[in-house]
Amino acid sequence: MPPRLLTAFVILAGLAAGVIVIVRQGQLPPADFTFNNDTEVESLDPAVVTGQPEGRIIDELYEGLVRLDPKDRKPIPGVAKEWEVSDDGKTYTFHLRRDAKWSDGSPVTAEDFVYSMRRFLDPQTLAEYAYQAWYIKNARRFSRAARGVRPGDPVEVELYELPPGALPFARGELLRGELVAVETLPGATEQELEDPARYTELRTFLVEIDGERRRFRVGEGPFPDASPAKQLTLAFDQVGFRALDDYTVQTELEAPTPYWLNLLGFYPLAPVKRECVETHGPGAWIKAGNIVTNGPYMLQFRRIRDRIRLRKNPHYWNRDNVALETIDALAVQSLTTSFNLYETGEVDWITKVTPLIARELFEQTPPREDFNPDAQFGTYFYNFNTTRAPFDDPRVRRALVLALDRQEIVTTACAGELPARSLTPPGLPDYEAPECAGMDLDRARQLLAEAGYPGGVGFPKIEILYNYEQQHQTIAELIRKQWRRGLGIDVATRNEEWSTYLASTRQLNFDVVRRAWIGDYLDPNTFLDMFVTGGENNNTGWGDPEYDRLIRDAKFESDPAKRLELLAGAERILMTELPVMPIYYYVSRSMVAPYVYGWHNNLEDRHPLWSLSIDRGRPRLNDFMSSKPIRPIVLRPQAADTPSEAAAEALTPPSLPAEEDER
Amino acid sequence: MTAFLVRRLCWMLVTLWVVFTVSFFLMRSVPGGPYDSERALEPEIEANIRKEYNLDLPLSQQYWLKLRQMASGELGSSMKKDYTVNRLVAEGLPVSAALGLLALAIAFSVGLVAGVVSAVFRGGVADVGLMAIATVGIALPNFVVAGFAIILFVFTLGWLPAAGWGSLEQLVLPALCLGAPYAAYVARIARTGMLDVLGQDHIRTARAKGLSPFTVVAKHALPTALLPVVSFLGPAVAGILTGSPVIENIFAIPGLGWHFVQAAIDKDYPIAMGLVLLYTTLLYTMNLIVDLLYGVLDPRVEWR
Repeated sequence: MPPRLLTAFVILAGLAAGVIVIVRQGQLPPADFTFNNDTEVESLDPAVVTGQPEGRIIDELYEGLVRLDPKDRKPIPGVAKEWEVSDDGKTYTFHLRRDAKWSDGSPVTAEDFVYSMRRFLDPQTLAEYAYQAWYIKNARRFSRAARGVRPGDPVEVELYELPPGALPFARGELLRGELVAVETLPGATEQELEDPARYTELRTFLVEIDGERRRFRVGEGPFPDASPAKQLTLAFDQVGFRALDDYTVQTELEAPTPYWLNLLGFYPLAPVKRECVETHGPGAWIKAGNIVTNGPYMLQFRRIRDRIRLRKNPHYWNRDNVALETIDALAVQSLTTSFNLYETGEVDWITKVTPLIARELFEQTPPREDFNPDAQFGTYFYNFNTTRAPFDDPRVRRALVLALDRQEIVTTACAGELPARSLTPPGLPDYEAPECAGMDLDRARQLLAEAGYPGGVGFPKIEILYNYEQQHQTIAELIRKQWRRGLGIDVATRNEEWSTYLASTRQLNFDVVRRAWIGDYLDPNTFLDMFVTGGENNNTGWGDPEYDRLIRDAKFESDPAKRLELLAGAERILMTELPVMPIYYYVSRSMVAPYVYGWHNNLEDRHPLWSLSIDRGRPRLNDFMSSKPIRPIVLRPQAADTPSEAAAEALTPPSLPAEEDER
Repeated sequence: MTAFLVRRLCWMLVTLWVVFTVSFFLMRSVPGGPYDSERALEPEIEANIRKEYNLDLPLSQQYWLKLRQMASGELGSSMKKDYTVNRLVAEGLPVSAALGLLALAIAFSVGLVAGVVSAVFRGGVADVGLMAIATVGIALPNFVVAGFAIILFVFTLGWLPAAGWGSLEQLVLPALCLGAPYAAYVARIARTGMLDVLGQDHIRTARAKGLSPFTVVAKHALPTALLPVVSFLGPAVAGILTGSPVIENIFAIPGLGWHFVQAAIDKDYPIAMGLVLLYTTLLYTMNLIVDLLYGVLDPRVEWR
């Protein structure tokens, strides 16, 4: 063989061997249970993440004071085996179980929870969800660091130097003292002083520590007349989250918060192990091999954009009730691929299917035994910009809402989604959301005429803003058509890329904008407190003193029934004034293999894995298929958009199949 | 040859610097940032985030810091996810490389055979049939090919898995779909090259000597006919690298491709920058290799 040919062969053989080696490295024994987690998780640090895919993994790796029941999402004992609530509903005392362990075998103590809460609230942790813990007394002030303290407050000054003997990534040395005065730098203008982003830059803090007055400025310095400090915060002992002893945690809240236990079961408030965090540092402590967790599962390995493998934690206190040994969470982003994997039996649960596939699944005969959509705690709606004419006139907003044909939208652009006439979705046990009126074109035209635009004459051209996505576009075009046809007004649509769209929304640079909200916790407040005057996610320019009062009163009301009444009052105002136009409620569209047990449909669409088990003999219908949805979910709803029939529908007990064709 | 290599490597550094500069300023000029979310961030948290990623510094200072960091080979950490770009490359590059190599192998072996066959049997049924398939293959984008291939091989015949990574079986479909359009190109190029050679005098001489048709084609015509095919290697590698995001997404392959797309969508500057520079280096190196191969195959070429 000529040498040139030989070289070519050797190179080719080498490349082929390389391919085989790389592929072999990817080979794995299959896990007991595989599901598609939809995307690569942003992090495994519970404090910094905000998404559902992250939540699914973190719920298994960590365990908070309470857990949430897989079926009804009610709080059940987690690390805390029991708790007491004070009479005013503000103080909760949690008794920790002695057998709760970290995955390295060390006990989980009250101090771990205090450390984790401090870390979560500390703005240096970059926890976007920190506000979820602001129900705790003074937590918000602590989170605002230097902006949250006033002269006279006990404060903590964090230095850049580490305390002696500290682990490499520990926080800097803390000096405790009392804030005496805050001086502004000479020459700073009024306007600069008001900018929250430059607050610390322009101020010097005078703090009395052990009887000695010292001056600090936040920043690396050096400063001519002050010592540099990394951060200045309210002293953490002022925050209502403390350890009474090794196994008792007490939380003190700003106001009675009926959903506080649910929030404690929410993943951002999960505990992390201080030693692990401070030894390896950010970005490294969450790697397999370093990470120490306290949940039912631990991290075996993580392959970026491929999968996360979880293995049962042998130190978990409730290990006897965890059935699955290994779980794979795939990071498949394409919904079609995800469906293909499910259909070929490679995965046992996919969290959603595209509307197109869902439509096929609805119509399949015989009916699917692994598809059972249910209502979800989220609403798709439009905001009106009430700072602009003509939307400053409530009659115009009402007319536009009355001219909306939700039936057409959900049948054309969705697959099973429920038409919405309130902001709070249905399904909360004790709350019946007040609804706005359904479609009524005559009344709409009449209102428009009263507002000075009979037959749409003289009505300015308005624009619907949405971020670019196929479904948003379809819906915007439908609504544009409905308004034009029904009211004779001129409507345009405009799409923007995500971040431009967000900026436009926040700066009220729109006429009508598409929005959506998924509830953070199962309470109407998560939807309603958005629309208080000047609320940061209000984005309508709308405000109403009575509305604000009801939301505030509800916050401090300790009687649950009265509280919900106040919230209903607020929602009634919202549904009369209509700065928002509800369009549809979200629907969950999971597919779960028929041999998977312990998987329950619920409003939050959150499904813990520790409760799952597999029985391929399929002794009975699984929990997923045997549940009835909150409202009947069909591909082409026939229910009318009028109040009387909707009320009748809402009254139908969930156990009975509701009548859909009363007309 | 050494002078040639040194000169080309110097040019590569210049190219990398230009690519770095252009992408740096392009990324910063797009409105918004990696931390845009539906909910407004607290000013303290936002300020700390900006500090963490040096976004609070003036642009010129950010530029120098980033340039120094890139020059040291440390590609930085993602702004959205909790891993470093180096880890991402270390995990993803071998996977992408394996997929790309297999796709290339399919493209060149299938394409070459098809090209030679249709040239030898010019005007026959095989020629017309193969060239018709090749024309369709060039016209169809790889995701369309993938869709049909999945319906056929996964759902109708049930021969291959739908997606995933970890066995050669799972790699067959993606490599096939990624390589298919290039196989079509190669077939056409090989056919043209072969036809050129077959008409030349030395082939007629070889035939006149009484050599078997196979020897004539394989030994005397093929090496010369290969030259245009080899020159296609550069563009093919470029195409397979840039085409892989789509295929990786469809077949859930944990390679580098989709990171590239996702980083741009997320405005994750460090990942986008790291991958742009990595791709630049790869493409430049592949072109260099092709130039060197030229010299090996054709003694008339000089490296200058």
